Amino acid sequence: MWYFRSPSIVYGEDALSFLSELPYERILIVTDRNIVKAGLLSILHSNLPSGSKNLVIDNIPEEPTISDVTDRSKQVMEFSPDLIIGMGGGSSMDAAKALFVMYERPDLDLFDITPLVHLGLRKKSRLILVPTTSGTGSECTWAAVLSDRDHGRKNELASPEIIADYAILDPVLVQKLPQSITRNTAVDAITHAVEGHSSQWKNPYSEAMAEKALRLITHNLPAVLRDGNMKSREMVHIGASMAGLSFSNSQIGLAHAMGHSLGAHFRIAHGMSVGLYLPYVVDFNQDYSVESYEILRQCFPEKYRGESLGETIRKFFREIGQPLDLKATGIDRDEYDLNLSGMVGLAEESTGIITNPREANSQEILELFEAVE
Amino acid sequence: MSKFPSDEWAKEYVEKLNSNESYQDAGKQWEGAITFVIQPDGEFKDTAYLYLDLFHGKCRDYKFSMSAADVPKSEFSYIGKYGNWKRLINKEIDPIQGVLTGKFKLDGSMMKIMRFTKAAKEMVSTASQVSTEF
Repeated sequence: MWYFRSPSIVYGEDALSFLSELPYERILIVTDRNIVKAGLLSILHSNLPSGSKNLVIDNIPEEPTISDVTDRSKQVMEFSPDLIIGMGGGSSMDAAKALFVMYERPDLDLFDITPLVHLGLRKKSRLILVPTTSGTGSECTWAAVLSDRDHGRKNELASPEIIADYAILDPVLVQKLPQSITRNTAVDAITHAVEGHSSQWKNPYSEAMAEKALRLITHNLPAVLRDGNMKSREMVHIGASMAGLSFSNSQIGLAHAMGHSLGAHFRIAHGMSVGLYLPYVVDFNQDYSVESYEILRQCFPEKYRGESLGETIRKFFREIGQPLDLKATGIDRDEYDLNLSGMVGLAEESTGIITNPREANSQEILELFEAVE
Repeated sequence: MSKFPSDEWAKEYVEKLNSNESYQDAGKQWEGAITFVIQPDGEFKDTAYLYLDLFHGKCRDYKFSMSAADVPKSEFSYIGKYGNWKRLINKEIDPIQGVLTGKFKLDGSMMKIMRFTKAAKEMVSTASQVSTEF
């Protein structure tokens, strides 16, 4: 027995207008300052039900910490929303998920957000997630990543109950996404698709989502990066959500375990960090995931296909400008080497370790970290 | 072949666990006892308890009993019906997916166990390495 979990997805041009018909009166919007500056909050506002009272928390930082969320929970309790909208990249959407739990169940600790605890949510409100990047997949997943700077770790909080009621994919929100963010987030989505497809918990649903996601992203991303082609951008946006559905229903793997660990030690874009390790992890897993990797290799446009999936990913990443070595990420090699032991320890704590197609012990994880040029 | 559940089975399980290098690696920082609870169903009429004192990748001690009062208190409990234990030992259920689908219940600090999912999986998976008679 297993499940396929997904929010209801509203997508395509003008998808945001779906909000205007909803029967909610007190709406909390969780977002960040860049979304406000880019004018995207105004677009959201213009689509809210008329007469609704709104509270905007617009200061969610990048990679929010546990305290970033707990510090804002009082404000949420006082406002007493009947709908929570998380709008932005993964940080804002993940913060919205955590605030949703804190509001619904103030008696719980955030660390109770695990699949093993019944949360009993949705007694007071509903959750809608609106991505403004194409990659994190957070709008479709039942996970929220919150940092813990005191312990230098990223906590992967997960519960099927924090999956959104609706995910709204409106291409207008990613129309002006800067090239670097477009690339980093798409690489994250590619990593989701590859790991979701080859996970030890893979299933027909996660495989189907991953295959279509990978086709949509790899066939359209170069055009988006080249000239911002809007139709291609919409396809990448949908592909990213499908990649989110894939890994959310089968779990991440070692590239994410290592990327999260790197991200906890160095300031580096999440997509760039997981993408840095993906080719190495794929090479490591190759003999344990032959069939899956061949299917995934075939999903890339023919001109990028190498003899193996690892080679194919490297070719594609080279084309789009995703770093393949440490130097290109801006991380100092000596500092990286100094942090290796801590990074291995954190990677071992990730749930991605148990679902990676090949079991990896401490020494093998260390060797993978060291293998990055 | 050891009958499951029994003291003989528990002894063999602990030997397997202590020689499982993957468990030793994944659990090298783990400190805390866990009790496997085998609950009755149509095939098995009693409740059985296997207490395991785990420390830094090794099982230091164990206690098997058909009475909860006879086993020490533990930080964690992994609880399931006999039929589901049988399926787990036969590798028909993944130990973590078993919890996620409600076939097993895990009691204890979730914050701690979620950092040691690999150790938890190795610990439960080791049960399938015991030559078992049901």
